[in-house]
Amino acid sequence: MFLALLELRAARGRFLLMGSVVVLVAALVGIVSGFTTGLGDDTVSALRRLPATHVAFASGSASDQFARGLVDDRTATGWGREERAEATPLGVTLTRGTTGRGTEVDLAAFGVVPGAFTDPGADAGAPLDAARPGGIVVSRRLVDEGVRVGDTLTVDRLGITLDVVGTTGRSAYGHVPVAYVTTDTWRRIRFTVPGATARPAELPAQYSAVALRLPPDAGAAALAAADRRHGTRTVTLEQAFAAAPGYDGERLTMTSIQSFLFLIAPLVVGAFFAVWTVQRTPELALLRALGASRRRLLGHTLAQAALVVAAGTATGGALASAVGLLVGAQVPFSLPATTLAATLGAVALVGLAGTALTLRRVATVDPMTLLGAAR
Amino acid sequence: MSLHLDALTVTLGRGDSRTTALDGFGATFRPGVLTALVGPSGSGKSTLLAVAGALLRPDRGRVLLNGTDLAALGDRERARARRERVGYVFQSGNLLTGLTAEEQLLAAASIAGRRPRALRARARELLTEVGLAHRLAHRPDQLSGGERRRIALARALLLEPELLLVDEPTAAVDRSRAEDLAALLVRTTHRYGSVTVVATHDPVVTEAADATVDMLRPPVSASA
Repeated sequence: MFLALLELRAARGRFLLMGSVVVLVAALVGIVSGFTTGLGDDTVSALRRLPATHVAFASGSASDQFARGLVDDRTATGWGREERAEATPLGVTLTRGTTGRGTEVDLAAFGVVPGAFTDPGADAGAPLDAARPGGIVVSRRLVDEGVRVGDTLTVDRLGITLDVVGTTGRSAYGHVPVAYVTTDTWRRIRFTVPGATARPAELPAQYSAVALRLPPDAGAAALAAADRRHGTRTVTLEQAFAAAPGYDGERLTMTSIQSFLFLIAPLVVGAFFAVWTVQRTPELALLRALGASRRRLLGHTLAQAALVVAAGTATGGALASAVGLLVGAQVPFSLPATTLAATLGAVALVGLAGTALTLRRVATVDPMTLLGAAR
Repeated sequence: MSLHLDALTVTLGRGDSRTTALDGFGATFRPGVLTALVGPSGSGKSTLLAVAGALLRPDRGRVLLNGTDLAALGDRERARARRERVGYVFQSGNLLTGLTAEEQLLAAASIAGRRPRALRARARELLTEVGLAHRLAHRPDQLSGGERRRIALARALLLEPELLLVDEPTAAVDRSRAEDLAALLVRTTHRYGSVTVVATHDPVVTEAADATVDMLRPPVSASA
């Protein structure tokens, strides 16, 4: 280690250059990871927050099911009668609203039955109440956009007026902050047309899906049988994320970028260490001539690589976090410590894997090279 | 304690470029004696040092250092012998770029598995002995050729090797510096009692040496 540190100090210019590349690669991977998580949260965090295990959609809809599919009351009731199953209708629709103070907001209206397991309650103010069907509980992001408890929120074009009764944690769907309303209110938003004044009883008793809480041992065969009985297609909650608009496409895009970066990282680090190894081949030959074993030279090289990669990765991680702090309020960026640690760990590993490409050359340096140069 | 080279044969290169560098060479070198290895270029002086220093394995013959045949050792054991029993001053490419004179010695200590901090005082003592007390913090690019060789000599002596091999110590050095280096080699050999073999063309070194071995007329054993 002593010699590895001496060399690092002696060739600090080269190692700084190498470290800078690692910093940039790690920062880039961290930033992309932040955007991947942030975009994912922005698309499905409201679904992720649902304390459901499965979601039953109307059979026949293969994509964007929350917008395209509809299940009726009987389906929800039927699922509720299944043994050891809890079921509640869930409505999901995107809309816009304006507060009485003139604040315009986009929102994803989640229709839930007050008191059901999908009802998020309220962190501040009051939760939804079946007796006050005009109430709306808004997520924290809508509060950030200027919606307050006590405000009146009018749904654009439809003229439906809602009272903001409470707030709940951050949740979004399809890049739009979520607000929770009763299923009756949701049906009004979903099925009313501008200018009409239909009452809930006159509107279709239909919802986007049925949220389910099933026991862990619910088998695929039992689910399929229940689906046949109720005319639904049931997926796990995680699979239901794909029903959110753009979720699959975004994930594919961001995962592709990350994958390429993970491919590029070891090649870049490996290329730098390869050049460094070629440059110092005479010195490696001298070390071998002085009696350094192959194992010591390999350890020496790995120690240098580990220090450069670790320092570069940590700095890159700090840089990615700083970028997150700078832009996090304007764009969907989320880089929790666990995600950052996992991402940086992966960068460090692939960086070291890149170094491994040069180890063969280090191990096979011939001390006679030194004399060859002298004779 | 001695170095006995017994019937060494070494061929270098492959195919048409294959040449016999040593052909049945034999000699004995004794401790505390500086032996000058002389002969024209291509006579096998550097090859002999490489074989004696466990850098190169001969095709045939034995390299007995105090009874241990270095030629018969495996790669790992030969590396161990190089770091623990042999001090080598190469003709060029002796020093590690970017390290100070003192660090060159401490790096050698580290390679040998010794704690560099424990040998710092000894390293300074040796550098003082070779006349470089004022150059401890200088890097190779700040030193003359003679100074670089003296650092290499101090490094070779740091772990008090049984065998000290020096290749052309006075090449490209003026006469005055050559005399200083030759005197230094004789002095250190006598002080540390090492078996010292110096490959040289330089009459200054030959005159200062305790014994001479001519590569063209090798003895069965070198007289001391």
